[in-house]
Amino acid sequence: MTDDMSIESYLAAGGVLTSPSNTPPRYRAEVMKIMAIFVDSELAGAAGFAELINAGPGIRDRMAAAQIVFEKTASAQRVLTLMGEFGADTDRYANHHPWTTRLPRDADITQGRGDHDMRLSVFNSPLIGWADAGIMNLLMGHAATVQLEEFSQISYQPLAEAFRAIILIETRHTELADKGLANLLEHKPDAALQDLVNYWWPRVAASFGDEASQKFEGLKAMGLRKNSNAVLKARWQTAATALLAKHQLKPAS
Amino acid sequence: MARFHDLEVTDIHKTIRDAVVVTLKPINGAAEHFEFTQGQYLTFRRDFDGEELRRSYSICSGRDEGLLQVGIKRVDGGAFSTWANQDLKIGDTLQAMPPMGSFFTPVAADAHKQYLGFAGGSGVTPVLSILKTTLAAEPSSRFTLVYANKGVNTIMFREELEDLKNLYMGRLNVIHILESDAQDIDLFTGLVTQEKCALLFQHWIDIENTDMAFICGPEPMMLGIASALRTAGLNDSQIKFELFASVQPGRARRKATSSDAARSANLTRAAITLDGATRTIEMPKDQSILDAALGNAMDAPFACKAGVCSTCRCKVIEGEVEMAANHALEDYEVEKGYVLSCQAYPLTDTVVVDYDQ
Repeated sequence: MTDDMSIESYLAAGGVLTSPSNTPPRYRAEVMKIMAIFVDSELAGAAGFAELINAGPGIRDRMAAAQIVFEKTASAQRVLTLMGEFGADTDRYANHHPWTTRLPRDADITQGRGDHDMRLSVFNSPLIGWADAGIMNLLMGHAATVQLEEFSQISYQPLAEAFRAIILIETRHTELADKGLANLLEHKPDAALQDLVNYWWPRVAASFGDEASQKFEGLKAMGLRKNSNAVLKARWQTAATALLAKHQLKPAS
Repeated sequence: MARFHDLEVTDIHKTIRDAVVVTLKPINGAAEHFEFTQGQYLTFRRDFDGEELRRSYSICSGRDEGLLQVGIKRVDGGAFSTWANQDLKIGDTLQAMPPMGSFFTPVAADAHKQYLGFAGGSGVTPVLSILKTTLAAEPSSRFTLVYANKGVNTIMFREELEDLKNLYMGRLNVIHILESDAQDIDLFTGLVTQEKCALLFQHWIDIENTDMAFICGPEPMMLGIASALRTAGLNDSQIKFELFASVQPGRARRKATSSDAARSANLTRAAITLDGATRTIEMPKDQSILDAALGNAMDAPFACKAGVCSTCRCKVIEGEVEMAANHALEDYEVEKGYVLSCQAYPLTDTVVVDYDQ
């Protein structure tokens, strides 16, 4: 039996890795980064949302918000456990950064990261109220689904499996946001909500990263990516546009 | 972080000429850490000539057997597997981390499932654990094992599999594929390739009703089988892989040292290797290796920058650095020269570091 295939050609041919001890250094680093981006985004997202639980107009809204906070934190924990298998100190990791910090509301839209965590840039923008959180959750929820669908096919089997389970949870959060938006539309003028959509749309779009990323081919060869940032972003734009239309809202022009 | 515990060798026997089955009993209060799930592995450590080696071996016993057993096949030039096959004896103490790995699916007593396992050579060890556990726990489920070997005399657990077939009459089917020994049916000779799998799926394996497939073996074999399974309609969540131990990193090379003559005050010449290319830069000693690399437009990996996640790990080949904090690397990694580059500041006037090792 020929078993002298290199890990690189194995991965390029669609092979799957199953434990930290199999992973070559650059692969290890890129998988760690994907995990850190997810964990930091979930922790930052949950922390931001937690502050708004009591802004929910009714007790059911607050229960939904609390559930979202709980489940996002649990998803972070699930992936952080995998980081721990690579050596990360998981207890310290969960506390090494204040996840509630945000930039000013009108800070420039960038794809850049802060100096001390890997959260997607959209999680650096502050939430200013219940309706704002609802719009953000709806738009970003759909983006997360698109991004997780991509990452649930990656070649690191334990992480792909974790993402396949998490995608179901994130989809439920988006459904909750969709219901919440329907409730909001009964009380809040469409124009005010459209303003919020206009604020979040470009920020969520930026979370898909650089369209001209030089790293894509390398990541693809390692089985860590399949579709380019531009393709994923377009997929989200189509889905989110249709969803907004249902509520008589439209993307930011 | 997982810790090592003591395990006593209570039995050791050969299953074929160059593979042993080692039965272990956790001692010194370690029993609670060794509850395992079928298909998991143990990571052992041992000192060879002053250097710590770690090797992972799959558990081959079923979950309800009340035994903790691993199978260790001797690999050419493999220090640990050779030692285990030649020198390990009953009464010896081994050190291992608690069971790890996710090469399993949950079992349920009322399940009516069809499982398909593929194993190449010693890749059978976790698959054996899975099939024993599943057949015992799910009385209505069936398991087909496609088991690839060079020849008859290299089939690990051959007799045990025969016994299991008798015990689970009609529920366990084993198809031996032998690379060099001729068999009655031509299809059962040669390598387990994508094409061979497709032929097996025509008459020998009920692929339409297969719920879950497990594959453990060398890389090309796993790729071929996975393609065949996907072509036959299985999706990714129905295919579980476990990569062979053969790709575990080999013996670490000795750390090179250089005599550093002239010590300049605050600057270091750092040669940084990343993705196969090496760049030499001048950097201040109060800057971390990571920041120096990033500041020179190198795509060095990092995430937390706080010394806790280990994404930025690199290896010091020459010179000395000091870590401000280290919450992620273990002592044996540090001894081998690994550092967290976000926490590593140069002490010597030249340093050589490598992110590719």
